[in-house]
Amino acid sequence: MLGKSFAVMVCFSFVFALFTGNVPALSGAILDGAAKAVTLSISLLGIMCLWGGIMSLLSYSGMIRKLSRVLRPVLRHVFPNAFSTGEGEEEIVACVSANALGLGNAATPLALSAMKKMQEYSGSDTATDDMVTLAVLGTSSFNLFPSTLVALRRAAGSADPYCIVVPIWIVSALGCLTAIILSRIMAPLTGRRAR
Amino acid sequence: MTEILSASILPAILFLTALIVLFSDKSAFDAFLSGASDGVRSAVGLLPSLCALIVAVEMLFASGFADFAAEALSPVFGALGMPSELLPLLVTRPISGSASTAVYTGLLEKYGPDSMTALIASVIMGSSDTAIYVISVYFSSINIKRTRHALAASLLTMLVTIALSAVLCKIFFK
Repeated sequence: MLGKSFAVMVCFSFVFALFTGNVPALSGAILDGAAKAVTLSISLLGIMCLWGGIMSLLSYSGMIRKLSRVLRPVLRHVFPNAFSTGEGEEEIVACVSANALGLGNAATPLALSAMKKMQEYSGSDTATDDMVTLAVLGTSSFNLFPSTLVALRRAAGSADPYCIVVPIWIVSALGCLTAIILSRIMAPLTGRRAR
Repeated sequence: MTEILSASILPAILFLTALIVLFSDKSAFDAFLSGASDGVRSAVGLLPSLCALIVAVEMLFASGFADFAAEALSPVFGALGMPSELLPLLVTRPISGSASTAVYTGLLEKYGPDSMTALIASVIMGSSDTAIYVISVYFSSINIKRTRHALAASLLTMLVTIALSAVLCKIFFK
C-alpha cells in the first residue's frame, strides 16, 4: 500500500512535470523532501516518546477496566450477537474502551483477538454483523488528544496549535456514532444475516 | 472558553499521570518508561517511510500536479464548501498514515498552519483513520474472504467526518 502510494505520486509528478517543463524544479523538491523527513521525525520524537509513556501508564492503571464497566450496557445493543453468545464479548468491551481513551496501541491487539473469537464461533469465511461493526468502529476512533497533530502545528509556527482539539472531539465522537449506525443499517443489505 | 479547555487538556493529562505514579505501586513508572521507549522506536521507525513519502509529496507539489488537480476539481469541491487543496489529503488518508502525514505537513507549510485549509485538514486527520488499511488488517488476520459492507460503511463514515470537519471548522473559526 505504502509502496503503491509512493510509486503513483512519483510517476504522476514526473510525467506531469515533463509536460509542464517543471522537471528541474523536481530536483530541489527531492532534496528538500528527504531533509524535511528528518526534521519532521526529530520534531515528533519528543512528543511520541512522552505520549507513548502516558498511554502505556493509562493502560497499566486500569482505566480501560473502569471505562468498560460504564460502556458495557451500551455496547450490548451495538454487538447483540457477540453478547448473546459471549464469544469475544470481553475483548470487544475492552477494545472499545481503549479506543475511547485514545489508547490505539492497546486497542488493536484486543480487536484482533475479539475478531478471532467471533470467527472461531461462526466458522465461516464471511464476516458476521458484529465483526463488521467492530472493524468499522475501529476505523473511526474517538480522539482524546491529537498529540502528533498539535506537535506538527506548533512546529509549523501556528499561533494556536491547540485550537483544533475541541472540533476534533466533536467530529470524532459523531464519526463513531455514524460508524455504528451505518454498519447496523447496512448489515441486512449485504447478503444473508450471519449469526 | 474552548481555547482554555483545549490548551489545558495536555497539562491535565500530565497531572493525572503524575497522580497515578504517585499513588500506585513502583512499577507504574516502569510502565511509563516502557511505553516511552516504544514511542521513540515508532518515531524512528517512521523515518524511512516518511522519507519516501515526503519526497513523493514534495514532487507532487513541485511538478504543479497538485495545483492542477485542485484547480480542475475546484467546482466540485466548491459546491460542497470544501477547499480543493485538500484533495491529496482525502486520497491518501484512507490508505496510509505516513502518506497522509506527509501530505498534511505539506499543506501546513504551503497554506500556513492557521489557514482554513490547514484547520480543516487538521480536523480530518484527527477524526478519521486509515480505513482501508485497518479493515484489511482486521479481516486478513482471521482469513475472512467476504467482508460484506465493511469497506463501504467505513468509507461512508469517512465521507461524513470529512463533511462535518469542513462545516464545523467554518462555524468554529469564523
